[in-house]
Order: sequence, then C-alpha cells, then structure tokens
Amino acid sequence: MSTTTAPATATAVVPAPASTARRTGPSFPALTGLEVRKSLSTRSGRSVAALAVLVGPLGVLLATTTSGGAVAAAMALGIMGMLIALVLLALGVLSTAGEWTHRSVQTTYLLVPRRGRVLAAKAAAMALLGLVLASVGVGLAVGALALFTTGVTWFAAGQAVAAVIASGAAFTVIGAGIGAAVGNSAAALTGTYLTVLGILPVLNSVEPEIAARLDPAGAVVTLAQHGAATTPIAVIAGWVVVSTVTGVLVTRRRSVA
Amino acid sequence: MITVSGLTKDYGGRRVVDEVSFELEPGTVTGFLGPNGAGKSTTMRMVTGLVPASSGTALVAGRPYTSLPNPGAVMGTLLDAAAVHPGRTGRTHLRLLASTIGVPAPRVDEVLEMVDLTAAGGRRIGGYSLGMRQRLGIAAALLADPPVLMFDEPANGLDPEGIRWMRDLLRGHAARGGTVLLSSHLLGEVEHTVDRLLVIGSGRIVADGPIHELLAGDGTAVRPADAASFEPALRAAGLEVQHRDGGVLVVPGASPDRIGALAAAGGHALVDLRPSEQGLEELFFQLTDAS
Repeated sequence: MSTTTAPATATAVVPAPASTARRTGPSFPALTGLEVRKSLSTRSGRSVAALAVLVGPLGVLLATTTSGGAVAAAMALGIMGMLIALVLLALGVLSTAGEWTHRSVQTTYLLVPRRGRVLAAKAAAMALLGLVLASVGVGLAVGALALFTTGVTWFAAGQAVAAVIASGAAFTVIGAGIGAAVGNSAAALTGTYLTVLGILPVLNSVEPEIAARLDPAGAVVTLAQHGAATTPIAVIAGWVVVSTVTGVLVTRRRSVA
Repeated sequence: MITVSGLTKDYGGRRVVDEVSFELEPGTVTGFLGPNGAGKSTTMRMVTGLVPASSGTALVAGRPYTSLPNPGAVMGTLLDAAAVHPGRTGRTHLRLLASTIGVPAPRVDEVLEMVDLTAAGGRRIGGYSLGMRQRLGIAAALLADPPVLMFDEPANGLDPEGIRWMRDLLRGHAARGGTVLLSSHLLGEVEHTVDRLLVIGSGRIVADGPIHELLAGDGTAVRPADAASFEPALRAAGLEVQHRDGGVLVVPGASPDRIGALAAAGGHALVDLRPSEQGLEELFFQLTDAS
C-alpha cells in the first residue's frame, strides 16, 4: 500500500477537451443571458414574471371598479409600481435562493466557480428582467387607466412611469441579493415580505420619520408621486447595496453541500 | 491529472478529512471507497472548490479547479444527481449547461441518447426516477467529453443494465487516456471496474494501490482431490491451514511453489493451485474497521 505524495510543482497543461467545447468560460454578457434563461425556464419563474406584468393593469381595473375613477395617474401608478416591485422581488429571490433550495447551485458553481462573477451576472440579469417586466407592467397599467378609468389626472404620469420602471429593476436586484444571503427561498420570501409589509408599516405608525428612511415599498410610491427625491432614492439604493454586498459575502464563504 | 496533497477539512474543531494525498494518472479508473462519513464526498467537493479546504491543495490538470478557464470542459463531475431544478425538463437543463460550457446544442441530444433519455428529455426532472436523474447527471458530465471524470456514487438507482453500461463507459474513457475517480458503495461493481483503489477511513487514506496488489493475499489457495489426506501433510510441514468453500484450503505464508512441491512429494493430486486472494469486501472491512 502506498500513498502518493503530490509533486511540489505541477507542470501539467490543461488538456483540450475532445469535443468542440470552448477553452474559456462564458463571457459576462453570455453568463447574464444564461441567468435570464434560467429564470424563465421554470414554471415558478414564468408565473412570477407573468404576475409582475399583470398585477399593474389588474390593480387598475380593480380600483376603477371599486372607486369609480377620478384618480391621479401618478398616485395610481405609484401604488401599482409598488405591487410590481414586490412581485419582482420574488423573481430575484428565486434566481439565487432557488438554486440553493434545489441544490442546483452545485452545478452552477462547478461550471463557473468564480461565485462573485456568477452573482454579478445574476444581478445584471435581474436588473434587465426587472426593467423589461416593469416596463411592460406599467405600460399595461397606463393603458388600463386610459381605457377603463374616467377622470384621470395625468399630471406627472411620466415621472411615475420612470420611477416604476427603475424601482422594478432595483427590487429584482434586491431580491437576488437577499436570496443569495439567505440561501433558502421560503425563508427569504417570508422574511422579506414580513419586514416590508408587516414590520415597516407598524414602524411607520409609531416612528414615521424612521420608517421613511427604511421602507423601500413606501419609497416607490413617494418617487412616483413626487419625482426624484433624495430620501426615497437613497432608501432603495441602500437596500440594493446592502442586500447585494451581503449576498456576495455570504455566498463566497458558504460551502456547497 | 488530479493531484491532491495534504487536503484537510475541519468542521467546528472536528477533522473530517485529514491530510489526504493522492495522484491520479491518465488511463486509469480509480475507486474511492470508504464507509459513510469517512470523507469521500467532502474530499471530492474540496477538489472542485465547492467546499473550501482548511489546508492542503488539489490540482486538476495542474491547476486548482476554480482556476481552470472552463472547468466543465476539463472535468465532468457528478456529485449529487438530485442537485437539479425539478421544474426544468432534462433537455432544458442540459441545454443551459451546454451553453455555459460552450458546447454546440446538438451535443445535448447526443448525450441524451447515450444515456437512453431521449424520450424523457422533454419531461420535467421532478418526474424522473433516481436512476434517470443519475443518467441525466452522467449526461451532463459527458457534455464536453472532458478528459477527467469524477463521479460520486454514480451507480445509485441504476438497474443492472445501467450499471454495466456505466462500467463500459468508464473503462472506455480510461482506455482512451481519460482519468476517472469513482466512489461507490457497490464493492462488487468497483472490483470489476477500477484499476486502482483509494480507501479512506475516518478521514485518512488507509490504502492506495493497484487493486490486484491490494487484493493479493500472502499465501496459497489449493484444492486437492482429497483434502482429508492432504491437510495433515500440510500441517506436518508446519503450515497453518484454513478451510474455504468448495474444498479449498488456504495456506497463509506459503508460496504455490512450496505447496506444489509438498503435493508432488506426497503423491497428492491437485485440482487447483494459485496465490490466495481476498475479496474486496473482506479488504474493505479489514481496512476501515482498523481506521
């Protein structure tokens, strides 16, 4: 019985694969495209994407039916934008935490071991998907407002549309960061929605000034109604940065079982 | 092609892999054996960088796996057949991997056919049996036809025909100059597939060598025509005699030449005479119980 000790220096050359596989890994744009394909290749991903597109116009129709019209477009779009953003947050969570939940993250990091690069591509893919889906969703919401709601005030509607689209992209990236940090879809979604829809509204009722500096959902509505303002932009940007950095740091250290 | 040196993993003060070193050469199939929890899977995960090593190095084709420009084209890895998204179809799963590795899309259908999953390729993986998932995992590992294959328990869930197919696949890969590292609990399967054995027990390598050398016993197995008369002759010569099934006598510490000479001198007819071998199962328990 003999145990071979490795040589001090390795001189082997990476062999060429027998097939026509690339010698290098995928480029960043290719990796981003792959992450988009991954997100839309499952029923859960497609369902969330469809919901993100439909929640805006459906919300408008529901509000029109119950209130009868006479609304400010900026306010209505702000509220619909918040709903779109919260749905897109789930898409982001599924893109990262979903891989840990199903353990398909093993294959991902076997083929592209540089985890930071993968997460950067996921963030780019989610920003792109969020941008496109929020654009379609808010476009349909505007159409629903124009077609089915009477007495709409269109003042500042353009800035509201821009705010919704940007927020959609940002929330999808936030979801990806939270999913990467938590590594479990159910826990990430439950924790995030509990915080955004439960804890922060309670905080808002007792300490509104503090809540305004923390609440990303409220920031979307504020942005849509009042245009580019420092506080809501800073709140959303803060969530993007903190969730993404945390996701990267945790993912780089986590073992893949 | 795979060089592991002093690889060690500690989890919360508990050492699960302890200074593991080995080197795998092209053209060989190496079996990686050990009881549950001995450190096989952790070692394989450290080789691929999925689990960071506490100390030591692992090189694949001369580089850390994580530094390979396109690792999937160098080493095909199957660590856990269940580690796939159940909501994708088998074909979609492979197409995503093919795009990542940079393999032309038609290769997906080729490997699906190789593992006999062409008909099931359009079905969601959640509906696959364990054996089908194993075959899908093997198909994924073969996408780029890489020179190195590392499979952890690939025979789990495979039917006998599938196991034979996998054995031929691995032997064929090695015959073409490939390197294979295979862990399995199916000792009989390993015995028929590998050239070399690495046995790990309690996180340490307890045996490493060609399988025929490890299984070779120190003694002779002899089947005399009349065991009742030959056994006393052996004992009279000061030899220890052990009984095996089928009238075989095992004489530890004696060469076939000496036993043959004793038989000739006493006029005993022999039906079979050869160096004794121990079974892989016997060797496995002997090595791992001691560790």
